[in-house]
Amino acid sequence: MRLVMMKGFDLSGWKQIGYLASLGLNLVAATAIGLAIGYHLDKWLKTSPWLLMLFLLFGIAAGFVNLFREVHRLRGDD
Amino acid sequence: MEGLESFSWIHFFSQKLGLHLTSEMELVAMTWVVMLILVIPSLLATRRLRSVPGPLQNVLEFLVESLEGILEAMMGWRGRRYLPLIGSLALFILGCNLLGLIPGFHSPTNNLNTTVACALVVFFSTHIIGIREQGALRYLKHFVGPVWWLAPMMVPVEIIGQLARPVSLSVRLFGNIFGEDTVLLILLALVPLLIPLPMMVLAIFTSCVQAFVFVMLSMIYIAGAGEGGHREKMESQEGRKE
Repeated sequence: MRLVMMKGFDLSGWKQIGYLASLGLNLVAATAIGLAIGYHLDKWLKTSPWLLMLFLLFGIAAGFVNLFREVHRLRGDD
Repeated sequence: MEGLESFSWIHFFSQKLGLHLTSEMELVAMTWVVMLILVIPSLLATRRLRSVPGPLQNVLEFLVESLEGILEAMMGWRGRRYLPLIGSLALFILGCNLLGLIPGFHSPTNNLNTTVACALVVFFSTHIIGIREQGALRYLKHFVGPVWWLAPMMVPVEIIGQLARPVSLSVRLFGNIFGEDTVLLILLALVPLLIPLPMMVLAIFTSCVQAFVFVMLSMIYIAGAGEGGHREKMESQEGRKE
């Protein structure tokens, strides 16, 4: 009985809140992680600034790939 | 924030006992409080299970059934297997968030250490579940991307994308709870009477939403790792038919 009620409970709005809440921060987190990896690899291998630039680009790309996928999934859900 | 020191029971009692606790140790003690709040009722309720439940068993059954319902709504019937992981994460984070609203207690989640611990649990279990469900080779193939000559670019991009998940999970939870507690603290310092009440109501709401968002995103990640995306699943079903 309770399970039926939970299923009737509109979960899709909450689901969307979760998705949307994850979008912005994921973009920033991916960029920051790329930057951090590049910075530390540069420090380690003494190749500054090349790996920093490369991994920053990777990070930005990862952020946008994530954003694209999540939005795609969100629109596929409706 | 230096001048604002809020009262805490742990600090009070440890000073009575002549102990000096750092703020991190105090937060660990607060985590123990949450553990006690969660463990003692469940021990009491499960020690003598009845088919006609008493009040405590009723509440816990409702909680477990609701969590099960959410899991099923999000991940399908296979999601039930992850009830222990997701359910305990949900209750722990909800307990941590709400503990900060009781006067004299602080949320353990307003320290980054607690949230990173939770996010790392989700991170590792995602990959372990992915490898167990699909096998190591098939799981790692997802990191290469669809076209082989794009692989040198896709591998770092995918790895960074995976690493960004625990970062955003933990920072989101920490940021929301920290902000909420700070606003409450400042309001309490300015006008202690009645004015913080609407903010506290809002804080109850954000506590629940943040716990739900954390758990929901972990469910999405685990479901994604376990199934390997809808397209792969459909393809494998078609392959089986042939």
